[in-house]
Amino acid sequence: MTTDFQLPAIDYQAISPLLILFGVACLGVLVEAFVPRPARRRVQLGMALVGVLAALGAVVLLAGTNVVTAGGSVTVDGPALFMQGALLAFGVVALLLIGERRVEPGGAFVAQPAITVGSEADQRQASAPGATEVFPLAMFSLGGMALFIAASDLLTMFIALELLSLPLYLMCALARRHRLISQEAAVKYFLLGAYASGFFLFGVVLAYGYAGSVDLAAIHAAVDTSQMNPALLYAALALIVMGLLFKTAAAPFHVWAPDVYQGAPTPITAFMAACTKVAAFGALLRVTYVAFERLAWDWLPVIGVIAVLTMLVGAVLAVTQTDLKRLLAYSSIANAGFVLVGVLAVGRTGASSAMFYLVAYGFAVLGAFAVISLVRDREGETTHLSRWAGLGRRSPLVAGVFTVVMLALAGIPLTGGFTAKFAVFSAALEVGEGWLVIAGVVSSVIIAFPYLRVVVMMWLSEPSESTATMVAPGLLTGTALGIGALAVVGLGVVPGPVLDLAHDAALFLR
Amino acid sequence: MSVLLAQGVEVTAGEAWTFWLLAPIAVIGALGMVLARNAVHSALWLVLTMLALGVFYVVQSAPFLGLVQVVVYTGAIMMLFLFVLMLVGRDAADSLIETLRGQRAAAVLVGGGLAALLATGTYRWLEGTPAAGLAEANAEHGGNTEGLANLLFSRWVLGFELTGALLIVAALGALMLTHIVREPGERLSQPEQMRARFAPGNYPAPKPGPGVFATSSSNTTPAKLPDGTASPRSISPILPIRELTAAEAADKETER
Amino acid sequence: MSELSEASGLLGYVWLLVAIPAASAAVLLLAGRRADRWGHLLGCASVGAAFLLGLGMFGQLADLDEHRRAVEQQLWTFLAVGDLRVDFGLLFDPLAAVFVLLITGVGFLIHVYAVGYLAHAPHDQTHESAGTARRRFFGYFNLFVAAMLVLVLGNNYLLLYVGWEGVGLASYLLIAFWFSRPAAATAGKKAFLMNRVGDAGFILAIFLLFAQVGTVQFSGVFAGVAGMSSTVLLVLGLLLLLGATGKSGQFPLQAWLPDAMEGPTPVSALIHAATMVTAGVYLIARSHPIFSANLTLQTVVVSVGAATLLIGAIIGCAKDDIKRVLAWSTVSQIGYMFLAVGLGGVAYALGLIHLLAHGFFKAGLFLGAGSVMRGMDDQVDIRRFGGLWRFLPITWATFGLAWLAIIGIPPLSGFFSKDPIIAAAFDRPGWTGWLFGGAALLGAGLTAFYMTRLFVLTFHGPKRWTEGQRPHESPPVMTIPLILLAVGTVAAGWLMSTSVVDWLTPVFGEAPEPHGLLSHGQVTALTMAVVVIGGVGGWAMFRNGTALAPAPAGPVVTAARANLYGDAVNAALFEKPGRWLTRALVYVDNKGIDGIVNGLAAAVGGGSARIRRLQTGFVRSYAMSMLLGALLIVGAFVAVQAGWFA
Repeated sequence: MTTDFQLPAIDYQAISPLLILFGVACLGVLVEAFVPRPARRRVQLGMALVGVLAALGAVVLLAGTNVVTAGGSVTVDGPALFMQGALLAFGVVALLLIGERRVEPGGAFVAQPAITVGSEADQRQASAPGATEVFPLAMFSLGGMALFIAASDLLTMFIALELLSLPLYLMCALARRHRLISQEAAVKYFLLGAYASGFFLFGVVLAYGYAGSVDLAAIHAAVDTSQMNPALLYAALALIVMGLLFKTAAAPFHVWAPDVYQGAPTPITAFMAACTKVAAFGALLRVTYVAFERLAWDWLPVIGVIAVLTMLVGAVLAVTQTDLKRLLAYSSIANAGFVLVGVLAVGRTGASSAMFYLVAYGFAVLGAFAVISLVRDREGETTHLSRWAGLGRRSPLVAGVFTVVMLALAGIPLTGGFTAKFAVFSAALEVGEGWLVIAGVVSSVIIAFPYLRVVVMMWLSEPSESTATMVAPGLLTGTALGIGALAVVGLGVVPGPVLDLAHDAALFLR
Repeated sequence: MSVLLAQGVEVTAGEAWTFWLLAPIAVIGALGMVLARNAVHSALWLVLTMLALGVFYVVQSAPFLGLVQVVVYTGAIMMLFLFVLMLVGRDAADSLIETLRGQRAAAVLVGGGLAALLATGTYRWLEGTPAAGLAEANAEHGGNTEGLANLLFSRWVLGFELTGALLIVAALGALMLTHIVREPGERLSQPEQMRARFAPGNYPAPKPGPGVFATSSSNTTPAKLPDGTASPRSISPILPIRELTAAEAADKETER
Repeated sequence: MSELSEASGLLGYVWLLVAIPAASAAVLLLAGRRADRWGHLLGCASVGAAFLLGLGMFGQLADLDEHRRAVEQQLWTFLAVGDLRVDFGLLFDPLAAVFVLLITGVGFLIHVYAVGYLAHAPHDQTHESAGTARRRFFGYFNLFVAAMLVLVLGNNYLLLYVGWEGVGLASYLLIAFWFSRPAAATAGKKAFLMNRVGDAGFILAIFLLFAQVGTVQFSGVFAGVAGMSSTVLLVLGLLLLLGATGKSGQFPLQAWLPDAMEGPTPVSALIHAATMVTAGVYLIARSHPIFSANLTLQTVVVSVGAATLLIGAIIGCAKDDIKRVLAWSTVSQIGYMFLAVGLGGVAYALGLIHLLAHGFFKAGLFLGAGSVMRGMDDQVDIRRFGGLWRFLPITWATFGLAWLAIIGIPPLSGFFSKDPIIAAAFDRPGWTGWLFGGAALLGAGLTAFYMTRLFVLTFHGPKRWTEGQRPHESPPVMTIPLILLAVGTVAAGWLMSTSVVDWLTPVFGEAPEPHGLLSHGQVTALTMAVVVIGGVGGWAMFRNGTALAPAPAGPVVTAARANLYGDAVNAALFEKPGRWLTRALVYVDNKGIDGIVNGLAAAVGGGSARIRRLQTGFVRSYAMSMLLGALLIVGAFVAVQAGWFA
């Protein structure tokens, strides 16, 4: 028995965003237990929004902090704060979508996911108020993502990875309509996610074997000093990167994305598309820039091939999609490729361009899914492209917002998408990676086609009987839509401040 | 382990014997888990592998880890797994026929490839690694378990706490996916259950057991009803009905 | 260019000038039917507010020291990548201030007039209620004002171009406002396409500027003019001029402007007479360091101006549609402005004075024409008018004042603005002075003739109405703007001829001493003589009305009736070769490029369909592909480490 135990110094202010998020999540669980059912949604939504906004405030207050704390588990530096800020901003919008109950009676979530699909009880709960556990789950997930971005060792990163994934798997299974597809999506995501986590963990073990530590900075230092066979480190890097690329939906680890995006409840799809992407790229940037920077010349070509493959697979497969959610899933794959181009422009410009891209993409995709949640018929959301024909004539305003978002995703000037693509491509050119830019431009051209096809469908086709109706957005969805559209246009017209912010923030603390 | 053996330092004969005895068993257990057709068998194969791993940990001077491996993984998690499997029951409709062309062959090829790459790789990359630092690490806090505890609550305190969050999520998820809230009045009261049981069209008595009134005592042989017909009620739906030989199917003297 | 002052006080809010109408346009276009009732009021109020704001800023600007009379406001950096740095910034200097007042002042009056005009808008087949149509109209109208203000306030060519395209868009939308009428839709398209030709020139000029001096900021560009070779300057100037001729309806791109009269009359007054079409003049005036630096360039501008003023005047004599006559008159008057800005030096200010004066009287003429049409059940043929002065007294009086102004009778504004231009044209040394001076003089006579013809046929002489018509005066909401514009017409010319030259001195520099062929007095006398001949001749010829159908006439009149074969020339010079070229290109495109593109598209589509089959929906097959990916990536890294690729 010894008495020399010492608690590590913990900078509570630096990890306050995390503490707020997890605290509110735990409170949310208690609310489920003690608050009467009818009041739960209001309490949960209010608490979650206040929590995320408070965490966002804490992140803003922390601006400029550069510290490693909690025993070396968490790094609070520029990129971490910038991406946590973006993540939490997306979180607010996603929570608005999750909380919406006016578009569909009871909301997008099923009341009791345990009831057998298609049973009598299932029909009885068709319009019952949706499960409110989704709020604490979303908060846990957000907390995990915030930690994922800031984790300064591989083990904490792994815990964060699980912490962000497990609630996502659960939330995927909660759709009110098409429950079987939703549950199937959840199981697929769970199985493949666990599979990818296994690879990640194997990589962590190998990295430990090489460096004798799972600390990112220690791995960086070990590259020069370790006596071990360097191949160990390369294999570790391959497996770790693979686990992270799975989360970013980069080819060939993208296969889950279309099925899961399509099956999950639309607000959760929006949440995944915007927030998970930020978190995964945050971690990828940190791992590659902090721990493996000295190997950059070796991993550049390999991950470069993956980036090219990702962009092309996403773009080419988007062309033949007829379902909008799947289309956006492939678009998210292609966009992961574009962000990778920024990541591969190793350096401050590369990091800042990738971070800016994530911001621009996140707002656009949130707006897109907000619109998708509004286009419905009696069966629920209608995501088949043919049902959107002529929608522009029926509801010009919302269709207009969707058009703006599609143009942004296609990278048309004066939208955030253009600025973002411009930023990553110019960053890649700056470091002489022209081949990535060529592949990027080619896939931009290809993927512009499906986006513009949607726009053409909406505006230039006559509405027919099969045209779906656009439900008037409630306050929550309306706000989410407004934020998305404003941000998309704002980032296109006045990108300066955010570009500067990203540039100032883009220095990793090792 | 194999590295240590190859180097021949600090490896006692007992350790080597234990390893060479248990290593094949661990591998066989793993293969058995993948190849077994029955989920229960799979789980049991896995228990075997985990037990073997637990012994390895103990032999390699990690007693706490070894015990946790046995108590938590083998004892708690795998047993829970078995309980769930037995409660849910294996559905006869499960098909194990592979419908995707070339899937199995590709799986063997690619999986084998990756396994070979990593296995030979780690073997070669770790060749000549000295085993060092164990004594110092254990001495620092007065023992292996103490040292582990110290790490867990100092360096890794955040991760430790967040693992708690992970458990909350898991519990919440399990509850959501399994628990059905019954509305008041939804559950039948005892008199109502009674009436339903004796309502016309329901069969109030216990089901006949298999093999009764028959020449075979196999529980795949359906019971015979008093009128001489076979009752499908008497056997489990996942079992195939046994084909009876002529002798078995023939009437017995009891009908007279 | 003079130095900049601090953007203090009211001048710190220059951006509001653009923001107010833009916000109002956004509200009107996005609010939907909710805004049908009050939309037009908001539209008028926003422009009125912008006018008051502009007036206040004008006052503040006037208080500044003469050499520091300009304010620049940097709003934000749009893009800063490598060498390309584009700022969104506004420049409020005397030139911009004058334009702001014209746009918002006259614009406000026309907005008010439009409220009354649209209450009586001709019915058509669009399936929208009158309120919705009115809201849409004011939304476009405010959009136009906002874009026009961006055009004149931008401190760089790119922002100018943004405004340039913005007004083009608004103009297109408004010309085709009654889009269910084929003529209106066609006219809208024609305007759009011919403007594109000019815009192509303008955007090429911007590229050239960037390539040459590395910036598109006015200050930077003008500082860099000295370093440009004369060839570059010439090309640059010609490209800018091409842009200017497109927007201002000048030769050879004049044909769209008269057709644009298919739009509602307030649109013709505001966009196609008072403001937008003068954007070309603004562009040349703003770019004066470029144009002043090259004599050939100036000669080209002057030639374009002189040719256009004659073309417009001649065609104006032969037209019978009241709005078309005014449209060709606009073409002709802008020709005067081009002539003036082409002369350079102090004549820049003269051109702008004429622009301002023209803004007032031409707006008055168009609004008067609208009032007449309203009283005559949308009749536009002047041969079907006559003797209206008794029935529309206010319209008659205001139209009459504007008529006297445009033909240049002292002491109305047209005299003070046009006379100095003619004198300045004669000031050009050598035979070109005689040539351009003579053309300007002849134009003045022609103007007097066709405007008198228009006035007499409309308001005097025997009635030639179609049966059952009861002409009536317009309501006050329309006549009050008419009266205010008439007051401006009377007063403005004299005011401006004395003060505007001084006001604009910081922009264009001091006036040199005239050393002309004729003295100013001689020119004035000549001009008056020509104008009186034209006017009296016109009055005498059309005092007793005119035939109701076009009489057979000599070659000149026939040619004039056919727009001097402008459309035919366009067809022969541009359209036919264009069509051949297009056909050839289409052929090449179909066979070659399209083949490649379609082939690529088909390849992408086919590839997409094929790869799609890999997405089976089975987790085990997904896991398989991930496993394969893992094998490849681990293998690749190990190979890289082992140096197999090195």
